[in-house]
Amino acid sequence: MRGEHIGELEELVLLAVGSLLDKAYAVAILDVIKQSTNRTLDVTAIHAVLRRLEKKGLVSSSMGGATAERGGRRKRYFTLSQSGRQVLDDVMSVRMALYNKMPKLTFAGI
Amino acid sequence: MSKHPPRWADRFLEWYCHPDLLEDIQGDLYEMYERKIALKRPLLANMLFIWYVFRSFRPGAIKKFQGNKNSITMTGNNFKIAFRVMLRDKFNTFLNLGGLAIGVACFILLGFFAKRELSFDRFHAKSDKIYRVWLKEVYAEDKIFFNSTTPIRFENLLEEHFGEVETAVQLLPQNYLVGRGDDRDNEVVTIVSPEFFEVFDFQLTKGNSSQPLTSPGAMVISESHAVKYFGSDDPIGRVIPVEIGDEIRDFNVTAVFEDIRTESSIQFNMAISNVIYPEIFSQGTMEAWFSIAPETYVLIGESSNISTVEAGMQEVVMGYLSEEVEEGVYNIGFQPLTDIHLNADIPAGIAPVGNRDYVYILGAIAILVLVIACVNYTTLSIGQSLKRSGEVGIRKVMGALKGSLVNQYLSESLLTALFALIVGVGASYLLLPIFNDLTQANISLQFETWHIGLYAGLIIIMGIASGIYPAFILSRLNVTAILRGSGQSKRNHFIRKGMVVFQFMITVFLITSTLIMNNQLRYIQGKDVGYNYSATVSVPLYPDPSASRFLERLKTAADKGELLKEKLSLYPEISNIGKGSHVFGTSGWARMAFTDDNDVFRRFRYLIVDASYFSTFDIKMKAGRGFEDGSSLDEKQSVIINQAAADYFGLKSPVGSKLPSREFGEHSIIGVTENFNFTSLHNEVEPLVISQDPMIIFSGVSDVGFGDSPVPKLVFRYEGSSLLGVREILDKEWETTFPGEELNFTFVEDDMQQQYAAENRMSRLVTVATILSIIIAALGLLGLTVLVINSKVKEIGIRKVVGASVFTIFWSLARSFSTQLIIGIALSIPITWWLMTDWLSDFAYRINIGVVTFIISAIISAVIALLVISFHTLRAALVNPVKSLRVE
Repeated sequence: MRGEHIGELEELVLLAVGSLLDKAYAVAILDVIKQSTNRTLDVTAIHAVLRRLEKKGLVSSSMGGATAERGGRRKRYFTLSQSGRQVLDDVMSVRMALYNKMPKLTFAGI
Repeated sequence: MSKHPPRWADRFLEWYCHPDLLEDIQGDLYEMYERKIALKRPLLANMLFIWYVFRSFRPGAIKKFQGNKNSITMTGNNFKIAFRVMLRDKFNTFLNLGGLAIGVACFILLGFFAKRELSFDRFHAKSDKIYRVWLKEVYAEDKIFFNSTTPIRFENLLEEHFGEVETAVQLLPQNYLVGRGDDRDNEVVTIVSPEFFEVFDFQLTKGNSSQPLTSPGAMVISESHAVKYFGSDDPIGRVIPVEIGDEIRDFNVTAVFEDIRTESSIQFNMAISNVIYPEIFSQGTMEAWFSIAPETYVLIGESSNISTVEAGMQEVVMGYLSEEVEEGVYNIGFQPLTDIHLNADIPAGIAPVGNRDYVYILGAIAILVLVIACVNYTTLSIGQSLKRSGEVGIRKVMGALKGSLVNQYLSESLLTALFALIVGVGASYLLLPIFNDLTQANISLQFETWHIGLYAGLIIIMGIASGIYPAFILSRLNVTAILRGSGQSKRNHFIRKGMVVFQFMITVFLITSTLIMNNQLRYIQGKDVGYNYSATVSVPLYPDPSASRFLERLKTAADKGELLKEKLSLYPEISNIGKGSHVFGTSGWARMAFTDDNDVFRRFRYLIVDASYFSTFDIKMKAGRGFEDGSSLDEKQSVIINQAAADYFGLKSPVGSKLPSREFGEHSIIGVTENFNFTSLHNEVEPLVISQDPMIIFSGVSDVGFGDSPVPKLVFRYEGSSLLGVREILDKEWETTFPGEELNFTFVEDDMQQQYAAENRMSRLVTVATILSIIIAALGLLGLTVLVINSKVKEIGIRKVVGASVFTIFWSLARSFSTQLIIGIALSIPITWWLMTDWLSDFAYRINIGVVTFIISAIISAVIALLVISFHTLRAALVNPVKSLRVE
């Protein structure tokens, strides 16, 4: 976990990129996050996060083919890089480790 | 795409976005746009697109702009040159800076005044969720009782019946004697609900800050009152005795709150809890529907809407009252807290209500003066452009682009604006005490962070507004034309003259308005109101402490007043001593209402006097006679009415007849007075009934309302040489008659003035703005004359050589300004007339806007303009031509 700290939104976007395989572009990511967490984000926020992740080397991007929709503008597809995958694994393992240490029941209030 | 997002936003995106990122960002935004279009929400789609374009404007997405570095160095250089230009021509810099600085100072002072008025009561965190309840009883067209105070039981009703209402609280200011023995003081003690401090953000600084007012013996006081009563001691737990009714109760100070700021409608220094109500009010009062006393405020929930409470409250109350009143008689409404200070449609509750129009007019004047200052700078800069054209020519030859020239001249105006702001803000802070003193505006310039934004904004707006036009004119000049030495285009002259005319127009408008306002105020303050109040003194009397019933209180106070009167009558300076329930200079004279024998509902104002009151104020009788001193018949049965009452009651020959209801006590009307203006001249004279024995009237009226306490006041004429003398005399005689009570006396003249405080303040504020704008305009005019003369030095020399007289030369220079001034004056007339007619319509008695006022203001402005022009022109005209022609 040294070196790469990622924020909550970054983690969410990174997971979304991973789960969308080769269909991950900003609007699709927005939709996935909306579906799974019911959080409505701003598409420009997704853009900013993606740029940051790419700079950190956690995702890589390439332009897709031309489409008739969206004014003929191409989409930028993002894929999870090796180190991006690594970061996600680390985050998950830290969480699981801590989670498993918890007793199965909480006894708050006793 | 069938529909296209807003082109300008799209173009903006294309302009700033990094080319590598542009395509996919733009594509994504289009996609979001199309989704909304598919949902048939085109407006939302457009709004969102624009929003996203601006949201995308972040460091990561902005392209690298070429040439950034050069323009940064050039900016530094531009400011350096601008600074040198300012140093080189000190006179011009002084004029430019001075004008702008005065504009800034005026803008800040008036602007903060307007802002203070508009931000009343907004400092409470929940201010938008707090409402005040009003009550309007409508019995007939002219029988309406509209109050923003309510019955006591409203608090519980609102809390019990409505989930939307989080808390309802009441406040009721009462006048009590506070203290014990010789140290008693008349104080306003406000009775508030225990939850009061949860609704309003008045900070509790010491003591029990969560629930200070749960017990009936608890009291909270302000910091300044803590100092007043306990000095530097800890006030918590200390005792303050208050005389309520006829018993003295001890209250314990449980908490201290921060002094309430001036921009709050709710003001108090001492508060006790309303759990005490049952001990001081009867069961009947507590449950009355038609007795109004406290102001009631409700705090509604975050997501609630007041309209549901409003509709519901009506139903709840009608549930109780359906047998007593008809539908539509008893109306309840809610007014937002933030609306209280400036909404004159709803009657004032405990705090006075300001005038929203005045605030807007002053705000507009603040902006106008700033505009004049900017226009001033512009005209002067255009004038100077002739001087600077050589510089522009050389720069252009050296390869300067138009844009960089514009930048350079804008730097100059921005720099001037910066200095002007520093000077102007500094000056307004320094002059604030004088300004407050002069205008009673009571503003404070506490620094807040957002002021930085305001000041920065002012610099940019002033700098660009005043500099943009000259900058473009200068940069557009044709190189060859300049270097060959030909003059400016006709169009520039035209625009420059237009601006000068505009300036004259605003200034003359302000001058005329000031004249009209002052005339009106002088008129109402000097109008023959029908009585003589000069050098009369009014002293409130006190009832005997043991008297509890209303009439007993009036009686004991009058009796004690008689004792004081005997003592005072020994002084030769004091004459015409009388007593009356009300004195001139307030609007709170008693209101009475009754239903006459023909079933017509009638209202009148009522005054209780003794026989000498009429002679104190020299009130003239129109018919019949006044009260006779010592006549017991007059004391018991005689009534005097004013002419308005005679007309209103329809009494053809009032003297000898009776008031039109059998319910009144045995009486007969012995006289009719002229219509004297007993309230302020905002209102017409209302029907007035005067008697010595209040029982005659009280037995016949159905409604009674006292704006001011009817406990009698002693009034007398004082003819001593010094005003301090009257205090000495009263101090000497007071203590033996009213031991332990506080002596308060006022000159009726001061109280009369007080009625027009709002108008006086407005007039003073406008006068300040006028003087400042005259100075700005004068500075501008001075600058322009200097410029014109400098360019005509040789022409003047030659004219003199050929034989022109000083006057001819003076006139040839002054002529163009005169034309502009005349046009300015002419244009200002309709604006002034329109705005001032509106202002005057607030007064029932008003002056006509005469032609004379306009002539006077035209003369004033012409004289000022001529003085300013001649200052320099005459000097130029008197110069020896040898000197001016030798210049080369």
